[in-house]
Amino acid sequence: MKKLFDTGNAAVTEGAILAGCSLFAGYPITPATEIAENMSRRLPLTGGYYVQAEDETAALHICIGASLGGMKAMTSTSGPGYVLYADPYGWAIGSEIPVVIINAQRVGPVSGITGAPGQGEFYLSRYPTHGGNFETIVLAPGSVQEAFSMTVEAFALAERFRTPVTILADQLVTDGWESFEIPENAEEALSLGLYAPARRVHQGPCFYPASDHIDLPPVVLGRGTGGACSDWTPTEEGYDTEDAAAHMRHAYRLIHKIRRHREIIDRQESYMLEDNPKIVLVSYGSPSRVARSAVKAARERGLSAGCIRLKSLWPFQDQLFRRKAVYMAVELNAEGQLVREIERASHAPAHFFGTCGELPAASALLEAIARLSRGLPPESLRWEREAW
Amino acid sequence: MDRLAVKYLRPRKTPSTACSGCGLGQVHKKILLAIEQLGLGINDIVWGTGIGCSGRQTFNTWKGDNFAGTHGRVYALATGLRLALPEDKKIILTVGDGDAFGIGLSHLLHCARRNAGITVIVADNFGYQSTGGQYGYTTPQSRVTDSSPYGLTDPNWLQNGLDILNLLRDAGAGFLARHLSFEGQNAVESIKRAIGNKGFSLVHIIYPCVTHFGEISLKTGDREAIFRWFENLFDGRSGDPGTPAFKSGIFHDAVGARPEFSAALKAWTSSLRQKENPRA
Repeated sequence: MKKLFDTGNAAVTEGAILAGCSLFAGYPITPATEIAENMSRRLPLTGGYYVQAEDETAALHICIGASLGGMKAMTSTSGPGYVLYADPYGWAIGSEIPVVIINAQRVGPVSGITGAPGQGEFYLSRYPTHGGNFETIVLAPGSVQEAFSMTVEAFALAERFRTPVTILADQLVTDGWESFEIPENAEEALSLGLYAPARRVHQGPCFYPASDHIDLPPVVLGRGTGGACSDWTPTEEGYDTEDAAAHMRHAYRLIHKIRRHREIIDRQESYMLEDNPKIVLVSYGSPSRVARSAVKAARERGLSAGCIRLKSLWPFQDQLFRRKAVYMAVELNAEGQLVREIERASHAPAHFFGTCGELPAASALLEAIARLSRGLPPESLRWEREAW
Repeated sequence: MDRLAVKYLRPRKTPSTACSGCGLGQVHKKILLAIEQLGLGINDIVWGTGIGCSGRQTFNTWKGDNFAGTHGRVYALATGLRLALPEDKKIILTVGDGDAFGIGLSHLLHCARRNAGITVIVADNFGYQSTGGQYGYTTPQSRVTDSSPYGLTDPNWLQNGLDILNLLRDAGAGFLARHLSFEGQNAVESIKRAIGNKGFSLVHIIYPCVTHFGEISLKTGDREAIFRWFENLFDGRSGDPGTPAFKSGIFHDAVGARPEFSAALKAWTSSLRQKENPRA
């Protein structure tokens, strides 16, 4: 293994190269610019291409065009660019084209504070495009090491499921510096389970309506297969159709190819849950690290607490919330997004602890746990704790 | 069945899904004639389309590989595809005036700037006809359309001094031409030159929409009268002050003057790798 000390942005780049990414198209945006810069430095030397696009809409279109031609492609952005992906994102979902998308979330709405972390695209990553009738795959790294490994995993999932995969990171994970290790050769990577299958070329049909099969090669053009794909509802051969029954079959596939293979996608990490604690903190990305410290401190004070860190966000892991507990979502936003899914999955009200543009203090989380143990609401937001 | 349709088009997509009397078929046929005269086969071309009449009615008609992009973005999609395809594969895009000169103009100009090896055929029917006949960016001024019921005041890309082809030339396009769909071999020759160009080419072909533009803007369902109006337009004989006079033929020919995007990027990458790692 090679030991490096660098940012999450650098780790993403190394993961993409290991996974066989040969095209990156992007548009500069804080705090994801460094990924583009790193790709522009690394890709040409590994036989790949860096293309700077005129905007994020073009960036993802260039990626899916290259993927349609048989290349593995990736783009990266932050919230203001992620919304511009809506158009090509839907195209890639519908045409079942693999592509990897990194979103280094910053605080919003709109431009917000460019260099401050946020978690505002939890739901947007579930519904990254219009029209419904699809399921998405979204992963969430919590460290620089994970930013590396999850990028490789995202490429593998994109190929296996013929779909775009979003890595929903946050600014602290992508800009943060940490030590991390990367395999030095293919054998070492394989031994760690880091493997992204090579692109295969479909020989037809182009689409598999009403099938939940995975590991099917996507449509690749320019190989004499007579492949066809479009933004329209497709028949098996890729013809555009206006038949509602055909659309239902297409929707079935887009939803169930993902829902029926949850065991390949679901990822989570739990801490101090073995004794069924009364209070369970739930988070993803960088706030998870504070949540873990707060739980450790709470245990030292004899409070019954544990935590869950979600490493995959969508499809949502409802099964994690069947245990009866007082759940509190810890998020980098002030309105509560993850908390709503926890309430839905647990069929009970859940608590929310939110911060804007900065991590919560472990002491504030500890205080919230202490209040919850006494049956009091957590006073999560600063405007509830302090007079402004 | 037309000989060219049998040779190049998918049986499932013939006859065309366009309205009866639509001029799009004339554009489609000219492209096929050009392909035949260039001696290109089914697997030499990957055919992409945009949104609207021109895109939808030509999508997946080609017997080889096909794709349709989202509205106005097929130029960016084709840019990525260009990098993945071998140099000798041609990419032809059939798109409409709204797709190319409206929603997709930024991507189109960047495609010309990069000189990506793509042939764009803009099949222009003077507005958004598949949505019912709203005006576009080439619709002659003063014309009544579904979204300009009192006459069109919005300036367009075909007015004196505002020609869209000027913009594309300045953006770096290698070959540009303009024709009317019912012209003959001269239009086919332009398409041949466009497809033969390794870099970015665009041929702007205006064709009559007999359904909406004809009935709403020209106030006639008479096919011959509609075709005659378009013919007069090109001869500058229309006599309509809101109707620009067109000149048909090659607008700009700088074929080969600039390196093609994907070939240049591939050559540069390969030389960089040689320099960094001479033993590789």
